[in-house]
Amino acid sequence: MSQQVKVPAVGESITEVTIANWLKKDGDIVKQDEIIAELESDKATFELPAPQAGVLKILKKQGEVVPIGTAICEVQDSANAPATKSEGPKAEPAKTEAKAAAPSVASAPKATGIVKEMKVPAVGESITEVTISTWLKKDGDFVKLDEVIAEVESDKATFELPAEASGILRIVAKEKTTLPIGGLICKIEVMEGGAASVKTGGETPAAKTETSGTVNYASGHPSPAAAKILDEKGISSKEVDGSGKDGRITKEDAVKAEAKAAVPAKSGAAVQGIAVPAITGARNIRREKMTSLRKTIAKRLVAVKNETAMLTTFNEVDMKPVMDLRSKYKDQFKEKYGVGLGFMSFFTKAVCAALKEFPAVNASIEGDEAVYHDYCDISIAVSTPRGLVVPVIRNAEGLSMNQIESEVIRLATRGRDGKLSIEEMTGGTFSITNGGVFGSMLSTPIINPPQSAILGMHNIVERPVVVGGQVVVRPIMYLALSYDHRIVDGRESVSFLVRVKQMLEDPGRLILGV
Amino acid sequence: MDYNVVVIGSGPGGYVAAIRCAQLGFKTAIIEKYDTLGGTCLNVGCIPSKALLDSTEHFHNALHNFKEHGIDINEPKANLPQMIKRKAGVVKANVDGIAFLMKKNKIDVHTGVGSFVDKNTIKITAKDGKEKTITTEKVIIATGSKPTPLPFAPFDKKRIISSTEALELTELPKHLIIIGGGVIGMELGSVYARIGAKVTIVEFLDSLIATMDGTMGKELLKSTKKLGMEFYLGHKVTALQNTGKEVVLKAEDKAGKSIELKGDYCMVSIGRKPYTDGLGLDKVGIELDKGRIPVDDHLKTKVDNIYAIGDVVRGAMLAHKAEEEGTLVAEQFAGQKPHMNYLLIPGVVYTWPEVASVGYTEEQLKTDNRAYKVGSFPYKALGRARASMDVDGLVKVLADKNTDEILGVHIFGARAADMIAAAVTAMEFRASAEDVSRMSHAHPTYMEAVREACLAATDNRPIHI
Repeated sequence: MSQQVKVPAVGESITEVTIANWLKKDGDIVKQDEIIAELESDKATFELPAPQAGVLKILKKQGEVVPIGTAICEVQDSANAPATKSEGPKAEPAKTEAKAAAPSVASAPKATGIVKEMKVPAVGESITEVTISTWLKKDGDFVKLDEVIAEVESDKATFELPAEASGILRIVAKEKTTLPIGGLICKIEVMEGGAASVKTGGETPAAKTETSGTVNYASGHPSPAAAKILDEKGISSKEVDGSGKDGRITKEDAVKAEAKAAVPAKSGAAVQGIAVPAITGARNIRREKMTSLRKTIAKRLVAVKNETAMLTTFNEVDMKPVMDLRSKYKDQFKEKYGVGLGFMSFFTKAVCAALKEFPAVNASIEGDEAVYHDYCDISIAVSTPRGLVVPVIRNAEGLSMNQIESEVIRLATRGRDGKLSIEEMTGGTFSITNGGVFGSMLSTPIINPPQSAILGMHNIVERPVVVGGQVVVRPIMYLALSYDHRIVDGRESVSFLVRVKQMLEDPGRLILGV
Repeated sequence: MDYNVVVIGSGPGGYVAAIRCAQLGFKTAIIEKYDTLGGTCLNVGCIPSKALLDSTEHFHNALHNFKEHGIDINEPKANLPQMIKRKAGVVKANVDGIAFLMKKNKIDVHTGVGSFVDKNTIKITAKDGKEKTITTEKVIIATGSKPTPLPFAPFDKKRIISSTEALELTELPKHLIIIGGGVIGMELGSVYARIGAKVTIVEFLDSLIATMDGTMGKELLKSTKKLGMEFYLGHKVTALQNTGKEVVLKAEDKAGKSIELKGDYCMVSIGRKPYTDGLGLDKVGIELDKGRIPVDDHLKTKVDNIYAIGDVVRGAMLAHKAEEEGTLVAEQFAGQKPHMNYLLIPGVVYTWPEVASVGYTEEQLKTDNRAYKVGSFPYKALGRARASMDVDGLVKVLADKNTDEILGVHIFGARAADMIAAAVTAMEFRASAEDVSRMSHAHPTYMEAVREACLAATDNRPIHI
């Protein structure tokens, strides 16, 4: 019996999802409830478990956008499944893609002769290089598919690197090495007995348009017309990525290959003609399809700019009282609650208190009505490898400091792992974003619709300030509050921010509510 | 120089090369010994034989199959002179077409025997003995081939004949003996067997059409036996004599047992040999290798500006092979770099049912020790074939056992000659048997048999059997 797997209804307003990643390959044997794919909606990423054990038959390709309810694969009962194709070790050594060798019987791993190269994935918009912070596995270790083998650090975040195949690890980049995106991290000598991943090197979830399925004997085979064109241009078919079925080289591929070789020569000539110093170095551009998450972010941000009357008010906070309090109690706090005392809990507490006093800041516009919330669901912006996500701390007004800290950590972790559910990200009434972690001194955040305001935190810098007629050095943070002037008046917004400042500069007020 | 390119010989290799040269902007001339263009193929080969094959097939159907189809007619009679006359009309239309194409492409046609004076100068001697010389930068030799005679019994063109005379017979032979069970022997044997001649094939080898996949020869033997043809396979002809009113042939099998056959005509179709007579190759220092002009991978001879294509060079003696080579050479002249895949030049036999083949034969795969799998599908199980009563036939697909890549396709059956093109396309793109079986094939068509054979090759899972 084969069972079709359809895209589940994942949320109210979601009509389509993108197949971000097939974790299993067509023809692989999958176990029941094993995660076979990652789906991405404009709001979140989901994992798709196999409904039963059997042989996977993929119907929709990675990168395809499919409506809810579409059958994207079938899982065929192993008993009736036709023998999965065995992959010959004939794959050209140059293209050491991992080939899935369906484990016939779970026996001792056996070398397949295939070497999987793992490269630095594109982890975020502006990140161009990463550093290998820790190897969790040693050179020569046997690693399993998806097992975390290293921690990698970018200037924005740390992420874990899962093995892209099962086999013997051969480390190429040592700890503390900095590599560009696409740089070779390690090789895995693929062993049979554990299925290899379908991921190809350097691939981000749904980042590149995958044009062909598998690599096989015909990969890189040029069509008759393509062969002629390539030969005439002196380009070897090995240098061309085939976009045809199974990587065959189409006539168009050959024509484009010709254009690529011709461009640098041309620009060089033009530059010479007008006697401008020649441009040296590579000038490649890369085009990658935007993920649906990124497309949604883009659409929303422009919409906010166009549809609201947004402006920003600023203030500054002397962080000394909070920092003093924190340094005094952080150890006790940690010991008692098992969670560190950070600044987020102070800010969240202060914001909740201020929102009570200025309900318009916690309201939203729905048609002709203003909707006031008697609770504070605080959205916190978390930067993840996939982009910005905004999970929500529910009823933050009723949480204790330690509860807030735990919640922040839980949500941030899930965000980085791409595991946040839609429920966890919808329904916030007010947002806090902290550009300070990246070193921002001052910025104007964009509000998160349908909310009406967002608080921007920034870095803490020691600045000379005047206290009681004396110039003293104090740790200062600038605060920014962007708000929708349609519903929030200047008096309210400015007063709100002043209240936040007052409470942070004198945390006793938080207790007394004054 | 008078010309950029001069082509010697106007068969399918030569005239295609000339047209392609002209298309690419070369000033081009073509030299033809005979009065009409088109060479063997158009005048005394492919086209006239197909004309007669079609006529006799219609006759055969009228005689044997109309009744079953519900068409009652008086017993039809074969009118051989009319068939030959119609054939001549078809040939004329085709050769006139080539003359038109030469004019259209502004190619100068010189009639006469072309002969090298030196590597850039060619003397043309017309039938009346008039000579002229032309100069050219490049030369393409495309002089083709001629039927090979038996060493002890040359063609007398009366009773001991070649295919050329067999296409011009004015009377229906009572007993046509054919030496050679290759493509030509089987095609022309079919022509005369269908219209009532007794046809006997004497073949030295143990199988018919021996260069093709073994299954094809076996199937062809079965179907032509049904047509009434008789066979002496594994027989070596030891004597052949025209006694005036008849021919007497002696042959012996491997055990030395001899036979004697008497007939009114004997067609010798034991092969063709490259034709280079009068070409003056010695003037440019080209020496033949087993009768053929040696060329490199670019079809260049040992002389820099002289190229050779088609039947005079290595490879199968096929019109479409010569055409491809003509195009290849012309494009090379223009600095292009075309390719040719000799493995994927299909072979066709126009018997009915037809035979068509491309890629490796099963025998070759065995010799090469390739791991392969076979899928075949009979026409019998095909709705389309039943509808037309063409149930004799099968498709055999050979695929790589590991990769499923199609390595050979061999079709015996109605319309095989046209169907093989699809196999060539698939194989040029290195399709797997499963690839083909996953492509939609219109129903009801003969091509469904190819798909079913691919299903059989992929996983032994044909649907209709």
